[in-house]
This record gives sequence, structure tokens and C-alpha cells, in this order.
Amino acid sequence: MKRALVVLAAALTLSGCASVSTTVIPTVPAQEPLPGNASVGAAPPAAAAEQCTDPVASLRPPNPLPAPGQMPAGSTMAKIAQRGRLIVGVDQNTFHMGFRDPATGQIQGFDIDMARAVAQALLGDPNAVQLKVLTSDQRIPALQNGDVDIVVRTMTITCDRLKQVGFSAVYYDAKQRILVKQNSTIDGPAALGGKKVCATKGSTSLAAVAALPAKPVPVSVSDWTDCLVMLQQGQVDAVSTDDVILAGMAAQDQYTKVVGAPLADEPYGMAIPLQNQDFVRFVNGVLQNVESNGTWTASYQRWLGSLLPGATPAPPTPQYRD
Amino acid sequence: MTLVEADRRGRGLAGLAGTTPGVLGGFALVLILVALLAGALTGLGVQSRVQAVDDLAARTGPLSVAAEQIYRSLSDADATATGAFLSGGLEPTATRRRYEADIAQASGTLAVAVAARDPGDVTASGSTLATLSEQLPVYAGLVETARADNQQGLPLGAAYQREASTLMRTRLLPAAQDLYRTETGQVTDDQDGAGSFPILELLLGLAVLGLLVAAQITLYRRTNRVFNVGLLGATAAALVALLWVMVAGIAVMGDISASQRDGSAQVDTLAAARIATLAARSDETLTLVARGAGQAYQTDYTQVDKHLGDLLAKAGTQATDDKVRAKIDAARSDHAAWTAAHAKLRKADDSGDYGGAVTVAIGTGTDSAATAFDKLDGDLRDAIDQTRAAFNQKVADAGGALNGVVVVVAVLSVLTAAGAGAGIWRRLRDYR
Repeated sequence: MKRALVVLAAALTLSGCASVSTTVIPTVPAQEPLPGNASVGAAPPAAAAEQCTDPVASLRPPNPLPAPGQMPAGSTMAKIAQRGRLIVGVDQNTFHMGFRDPATGQIQGFDIDMARAVAQALLGDPNAVQLKVLTSDQRIPALQNGDVDIVVRTMTITCDRLKQVGFSAVYYDAKQRILVKQNSTIDGPAALGGKKVCATKGSTSLAAVAALPAKPVPVSVSDWTDCLVMLQQGQVDAVSTDDVILAGMAAQDQYTKVVGAPLADEPYGMAIPLQNQDFVRFVNGVLQNVESNGTWTASYQRWLGSLLPGATPAPPTPQYRD
Repeated sequence: MTLVEADRRGRGLAGLAGTTPGVLGGFALVLILVALLAGALTGLGVQSRVQAVDDLAARTGPLSVAAEQIYRSLSDADATATGAFLSGGLEPTATRRRYEADIAQASGTLAVAVAARDPGDVTASGSTLATLSEQLPVYAGLVETARADNQQGLPLGAAYQREASTLMRTRLLPAAQDLYRTETGQVTDDQDGAGSFPILELLLGLAVLGLLVAAQITLYRRTNRVFNVGLLGATAAALVALLWVMVAGIAVMGDISASQRDGSAQVDTLAAARIATLAARSDETLTLVARGAGQAYQTDYTQVDKHLGDLLAKAGTQATDDKVRAKIDAARSDHAAWTAAHAKLRKADDSGDYGGAVTVAIGTGTDSAATAFDKLDGDLRDAIDQTRAAFNQKVADAGGALNGVVVVVAVLSVLTAAGAGAGIWRRLRDYR
């Protein structure tokens, strides 16, 4: 039947019944590419900020700290020593904190130095680490599932997070600020009204942006460099997160600048599964050593000295609740 | 009935209708018209088959090849560009060349695919060809930005590469797959058009023959003459035309069904296997690039790899040619080697030996995943080339079977009409 119709159509065509149609050339709009998982205007669920007293106070370290190879039997450290390597959740996108060096393919930075110091103290070898890259929103699930022993990834200590994971003492004090293009008129949080502001999913920065009274449009992505991509492509007006992360972005693009007064304090801690309190204490002991023996300062000068203005600060003073 | 009666019955068509000359004249007229009309329709029917076979040989067949080529080149380009981010340091020249070749092949073939379509197909909103044409330059731009940043030692490069890969996986590859599905659908349509049973031709031929027989029976009853040379000639011509068309049509049916069995059906399976191979390789690479955050890619790999195994097994059962079978056997053993390399790679990565995992993934050793992947891809390419050659051969055979049939039909239908007209004219003259 279909073929009969074809034959009929052919006959009609031959007899000149076909109509003439013209082709209209449409106007083709450009479609900007987006980083994977990017979403515009999707504010994080407005969690009522948990209140707690003194979130940055951690657990007091043991004195003396056990030496490598002499971890107390049955402790979390003993289990890690048994395995022979420390599994660390890190970032490979934050310049000079935790980033993959394209020249070597190695992940390095200030956070990585801190993680290696823990491996050195626990296993006697700074290279006995397995680095697992995590996005901001994968950090807590990875700890809860036991995929990693510890997360050292520009992670801010908050009361909300303290209910889900344990934190070490503060090892870096960051402040949330704003990154814009060199020619932007945005000069602070108040000027962000209606502007698109980028931050990663699951970060405290995204929540802080969404909560700003000026009501910016939050744009969320997986990794911090995705924010810089979108800023360069003109898809967002600003990036807002911790000064140290922004400094890493500014170092990759000289046509950007960091502006405005700090929006919030962002004390970084190393996160550890909630039940492994012995490991929190051990890590605090490591941090005390690292901060007193000059390792912290050397690492700061190597990675962050060139990014951040001013003299090398003193390491944060640890606070303990018991 | 005598001549006098006929004369008396008088003038005009109404009066003429029941008379022998009237009946015969009517028959002659109908026969000539029907013979010519049936000839024209049969000719058109045959011509539409010729057209479908020509399309298979020159248009839809090659375009399905083009669509597969576009998909393969795009997918390989992305796997290559992403893989360049696995090893640190300078991008190997071979990797760069491979990426450039893929992009050149994809855009060149895309131009062919676009040129073969009517403008309306491309301008329609959401057209796959428009998506491919619009997004391929965007993709290439992102990859070059990624490369420039990477060469300055900035981790930003990896972010541009991820954005490029997202564009490839969410827009370009789905469009390319869509295009491939459409083009193979056209091949099936053309095969149906060329290879269906020639029922229309048969009915038309039988109608002409039936009328001719009826005319001869009427002539015998009315004039008592058994044989009429003109009508006999016309019958013979109609019979020959019908037989010719039927023999050619049935030969084409056989060739077209062989072009499916020995060609396109196998190409479909093999092309799907090749697409799965490329998808699995992308997943494998991306899992390593994500460095621990790539569980979704690994899950996808497991699914695609299982599907690939099934497709290779299916291709093995479909194979009708020993050479193709040998290539599929080689593909299956290369697939097994790859699966083993992949297991080794995952074990290394999961136990913290990232460098070892990367070496297995992109190394040039005989037991590396890269080597097994390249061999598997090559086996599938060869098998596809061979089954495509079989397809082309069978389509060419079909074209040969239809050679000159339209001319024969035209000549014989004119002969039928002329014979019928002349034969009855002779009898009509007796009534003058």
C-alpha cells in the first residue's frame, strides 16, 4: 500500500502537481556550554543554622603522642597502620591548597602537606597516603561510608557538620570574600543584588551567598575551578568563597580581583568519622607538632605566601574542650 | 445481427454500444488505454525500486556509514582529549595528532551528512544535524582553552576539559547517535521499498492479460474467429512484460534480503558494539581522571561492558562470512584482554597505586588497556568494513537485476497497446 502511494505520488509529481516551498533560514541562538551538574538559582535548603557553643574547640591530644609503629592496639590508628596507607579525601581543583599539577600529574598543595604530615606521624612515611578526590558535597558521605580515613579539603568547621563528623582543631583560618572580574563594579556583598554568584554544592559559601540580604542568584557547581570557568565565560558575575580559594583563582586569571569585607569566618578543620575520636585526638597532636616545629609555616610560605597579601601569619592557636 | 440491422440501429454512441463494432471499438479503446496506463504505472513502480536501490548504493547506505563515522570520531576525540589529562607533563604528539584527526574526520563527514539532506531537515528546530554543526566548534574551542591553560600549568585547564566532555556526552554524542538511528532507519525503509514483493506490478499485469483474454473471447463469440494475430501478439507482449518484471522483482527481493542478512543487520550489531567500546573507554578514562570521585563512571563502565559482551556474542551468531567471523573472534579475545587489563587497573587504583593504574590505562605495553582497546576497535572496524562490502555487493546485484526493466516495460506496453489496437481494427474493418 505504501508503495502504491509512492507510485501515485511519483505520478503526481510527473504531472506537475508538486507545490514549490521555500526554505526559511532560522536565526540560531548560541547555547553556552555549562560545567556538568551546574544549576542556576537553585538555593540550598535553608537549614536553620544549628547553634552550638564553641564549635572550633576540639579534643585534647594524648601526651605523649604515640610514635609511628607503636599505635595503641585496637585504635583507629592501628587499623590504618595495619593497612599501611592513610586514605585522604582531598581536592584537585583548588590552586595551591589541593590541586593537580598539570606538569607532573601529582596532587599537591597546603592541604596535601598537612595530610602528609599526618601520614608521617602515623606511618613514618609522608608518601604513605592514598589521595581520593572529593567534591564539596561528597565529603561527609565519604566519611560516613568509611571511604576515607580523613578529609583535608578546605573544610569549614560548623555546628551542623559537627553533628555528622568529628573535626580536628583549626589548622587554617579563612574568610569568605568575593571574586569579580577586574572591570566589575561589584565592590562588596551589598552590590550582589540580582547578580549571579557561583559557589560549589554542599559548601558553606553557597549557603552564605543564598542567605545574603541583597538576594543574589546562587549558581552551584561541582568544583571551584568550574566557578572560574563560568566567571571567564561571563555566565556568572562573581564567585564567593574563602579568601584562600579565591586567591588561587585570581592567581590563574590576572583579570580578576578579590573585593569587599569578609562575609564570614571559615575555620578549616580536618574531618574524621564521628566515632573515631581517638584519631581526632591523634591528629590534633600532629597539628600541634606541625605548628610548633615550623612545618606549618614552611608549607604556608611555599604555597600561600605568594597568593595572599601580608606577612606569614602565626598558625592558629588550637582550642580544646577537654 | 446483420450489417443492415446494425445500420438501422443507427447513429450515436448510445445506439452503437450494444453492436458488435461498438463493443469491439470500446474494447480496443479500453485495451489501449489500460495497456498504456498499466505500462506507465508498472514502469513507475519499477522506477521507484530502482530509485530505492540507487539510494541504498549512493545515499542512505553511505550516509549511515557517515553517521557511524561521526559518532566514532567524536567519541574518540573526547576520550583522547580527556586521556591527555591522565599523564602529567607535555602532551604526547601522537595524542594530539589523534585528536586532530578525529575532529577533522568528524567535521568533514558532518559536512557530507548535511549536504545530503534537504535544507528543511537541517533548519527544523532540534534537528540533530543542526545540533552537531552548532556545538562541534564550541566543543573544539573549549578543548583548546583547556589545553592552553594546561600548558601554563593551571588546574583551570582540567575544568575546561570537564566542561567540554560534559558538552560532548550530553549533547553531541546523543545527537550523533540520533543521526545514526535516523540514517539506519532510512536504509531499512529503502530496503523495504526495493525488496518488497512486486504485488502492484503483478496485479497490473494480470489486469491487462485478463482484459486481453476477455477481448479475445468476445471477439470469438461475436465473429467466430479463433485467432487474432494482433491480440495474440499483444497477449504475448503483456505476458513477457509481466514475467520480466516478476523475475526481476523476485531477484531484487533476494538480493535485498541478502543485503540485510549479510550486510546491514550485521553492520548494525557491529556498529553498536563499536559505540559501546568507545563509551566504555571514555568511562574507564574518566574514572581515573576523577581520581576517586568517579564511581558513576565506573558503574556506567560495568553496564556498557556487559552490553558490549552481549553485542559481540550476537555479532558472532549473525556472521555469515568466515573472514568476518574470524574478526569477531579476534574482537572477543581482545575484549577479554581488555576486561583483564581493566580489572588490573581498578585493583591498582583501588589499592592506592594511582600511577600504576594510569600506566595500565594509557601505556603502550601489550597488556595495557589502551592496546587492547585499540585492537578491539580495529577488529570491529575491519568487520564493519567487510560486512559493508557485502552489503554494497548485494545492493549492486539488486541494481543489476533492475537494469533496463523500465525500458522493456515501456516498449512492451506500447507493443501490447499497438497489437490490441491493430488486431481489433482489422475486425472492425470487416464491418465497414
